Amino acid sequence: MSFLNKFISRGQKENKQPIYIVSGLPRSGTSMMMKMLSSGGLPVVMDSIRQADEDNPNGYFEIELSKKLKDGEVKWVYEASGKAVKVISYLLEYLPKDMNYYVVFMEREIKEILASQHKMLERRNEKSLISDEEMTAQYNDHLRSVKYWLPRQPNIRVLYVSYNSMMNQPEELCVSIVNFLELPLDVKAMREVPNPSLYRNRS
Amino acid sequence: MKTIILGFDSFDPAVFEDMAGQNQITNLSKFVDAKGYSRLEVCSPPQTEVSWTSIATGADPGGHGIFDFVHRDPSTYAPYVSILPMKKSALGEQFVPPYIAKTLFEEAAGMGYPATALWWPAMFPARPELPVNTLPGLGTPDIRGQLGVGTLFTTEDEKKNKTSVMHLESAGKGRYSALLNGPMTQSKSGPQPVTLPVALDVIDPNTARVTIGDNQLELRVGAWSEIVEVKFKAGMFFNVHAITRLILTSLNGVVRLYSLPLQIHPLHALSHYSSSKSFAKNLWDKVGHYLTLGWPQDTTGLEDGCISDEQFLNLCDTIFSRRKQIFFYLLDNFKEGVLGSIFDDLDRVQHMFYHDRLDVAQAWYKKLDAFVGEVGQRVNGWSGKYNYLIMSDHGFTTYQYKIQLNRWLAENGYLALNDGITSGDLSNIDWRQTRAYAVGLNGLYLNIAGREGQGVVGAEEIELLLAEIQGKLMKWKGPDGKSVIWRGRLKHEIYNGAYTRLGPDLVVGYASGYRASSETGLGKIPQALIETNNNHWGADHCVDKDIVPGVIFANRDLQNFGGISFRDIPFLAIGKHLDQSHIKPPSQISGHGQKDLEERLKGLGYL
Repeated sequence: MSFLNKFISRGQKENKQPIYIVSGLPRSGTSMMMKMLSSGGLPVVMDSIRQADEDNPNGYFEIELSKKLKDGEVKWVYEASGKAVKVISYLLEYLPKDMNYYVVFMEREIKEILASQHKMLERRNEKSLISDEEMTAQYNDHLRSVKYWLPRQPNIRVLYVSYNSMMNQPEELCVSIVNFLELPLDVKAMREVPNPSLYRNRS
Repeated sequence: MKTIILGFDSFDPAVFEDMAGQNQITNLSKFVDAKGYSRLEVCSPPQTEVSWTSIATGADPGGHGIFDFVHRDPSTYAPYVSILPMKKSALGEQFVPPYIAKTLFEEAAGMGYPATALWWPAMFPARPELPVNTLPGLGTPDIRGQLGVGTLFTTEDEKKNKTSVMHLESAGKGRYSALLNGPMTQSKSGPQPVTLPVALDVIDPNTARVTIGDNQLELRVGAWSEIVEVKFKAGMFFNVHAITRLILTSLNGVVRLYSLPLQIHPLHALSHYSSSKSFAKNLWDKVGHYLTLGWPQDTTGLEDGCISDEQFLNLCDTIFSRRKQIFFYLLDNFKEGVLGSIFDDLDRVQHMFYHDRLDVAQAWYKKLDAFVGEVGQRVNGWSGKYNYLIMSDHGFTTYQYKIQLNRWLAENGYLALNDGITSGDLSNIDWRQTRAYAVGLNGLYLNIAGREGQGVVGAEEIELLLAEIQGKLMKWKGPDGKSVIWRGRLKHEIYNGAYTRLGPDLVVGYASGYRASSETGLGKIPQALIETNNNHWGADHCVDKDIVPGVIFANRDLQNFGGISFRDIPFLAIGKHLDQSHIKPPSQISGHGQKDLEERLKGLGYL
């Protein structure tokens, strides 16, 4: 039994290239991180359905199919091996369990996230039906449960990156990200991406 | 996979953090600097055998079935040692494994990796059907099938609390003789011990020659002998082999010779001592002889005054030293798999010295730190990835007051003794008038109709009655004016798994300074409600789990985990959760806000 298991169990997952996920709450700097990875030389999985706009002048770096993860639309994920994909934190739990993921999880002050989201909602002619206080509590609750769940997934490695710190000390964080991903990315090119002029919603 | 686990029984975070802050702990502090340190949430109750089993299985007692050092048979109320269960068969009574839940060692072996567990509690008897190498820890009995007491040979007329006392008869000038009682056998007049003659010849004021069976030893006063192998003839063709160590404690006027409990000989065990047999033999032959009792650090001998503090500590030192040799022997040949080893001397030392000689306990923290340094020198040279975990099963605290929980239940109208009886044990209880009783160091049971042999509490009363008892216990104040109970935990709130129904209905978590008396552990009902603890055994951990968290050190970042518990250990060790009950997907935890969250994400175009 042991002999067979050795080859059945040990070989699993080891030959598949991981998928590099950029995650976090919407407006926490996920698009910026996607652009950084792309500039650093990592291929990204995206479509052009949502175009760059005033909220994300550099583009969204999204794939529309990621919004259907919860509905079981996962086939595209298997083709993302070795590439970067943006998946918001809410959808992480729906990623297929039989792939390995390196997650760069963007963090940003909730106040700033909400301010940015309000502007985006306005531009989309959407109304916020919930108070900031309640939304803050729910985001914190959501982040707490995601952060408990993430490090306990055998197929996921995670690095938390502060958007706010990225604006102040990109050099150091870029090196940490490259070390975490274990990829030969162009740190200099990555470092050029964070643009303080786009850091518009400060707490 | 390549994982080493060092288990430091009772390694307390507060003591460690204090000493590390004073730069007295250097090797373990490196883990702190590298973000690889955290306090560890331990299971409830924080008892050694419960906690290490929870760590090995990633499950709480509801998942593995060991709830306390003492369980009870609900049909008869009879208490029994949970880690030494027996089963009657055609061959007579035999030990059976205390639990069958899958351990991380078994899981690793199932994945095709070698797995070894050294001195892990509740692993006796060994399970030879599993491809895991084991030397068992706490729960391994002596040759009589008990947890083990030593024998004092003395020329005085002495009585000891637990230790067996044998009189040394004079056999001439400077010559004495006695008998060493071995295993019990059936004779026409009932059960009788098989004996071995012991002879003692005084050589000089500090030395004597001791002859025991075929062994002749020259002992100096105060120095432990090496391990002695003895053989009892228990039948025409049947011998029982045992091992022990001896110490001459006095030759000055009074002659005293003390023998450790007679322990299973690993090469001649009647039960499955180890898995495999050749594993135990290889270590015995290649590394050296080792004691096998589950609790070889003889705290009973010390409490009974048979050995001194120094002699006890010397014994602990030699046990630790041999175990380190065994561990290093295996480590030096370790290529892959899991190698886990518990070192439990600190626990025994703290029970005896934490309360009044903290420096003695602290010296052991330094010893363990130095050991970590030695291990580090070996593993730092390894190439490739490996997991290195160091953890404890709980911390430690003082034990100033002994609590008689059954007396409290009687005084509060939940337990009634038979007419004319004012104290006693479970056999003296009037079960028709009793709604609750305590057995074990943290267990409180309701006397439930249909479950207990003479149960009276109906299903509809259970919830209210438990809430009532829980509420009253929380208001109980001790002689120091402080709360006796830190927290009472209902089993259905803290346990998951198939065995939950067998556990205590209320897990009583004592406050620091308080602990159930050993009488309470056995279900007894003495007269006093609370007694001052003046024993040498002056510190403990069988309190509420929140008072005695454990520690975990790892060669990985532990800061992102958001609180690590025993449930996470299999994952950290072998990358697999054996019990998934604590890791629900975020959407199942967030609750009422989930709908609002989705609305917001849709509004923003992310869903």
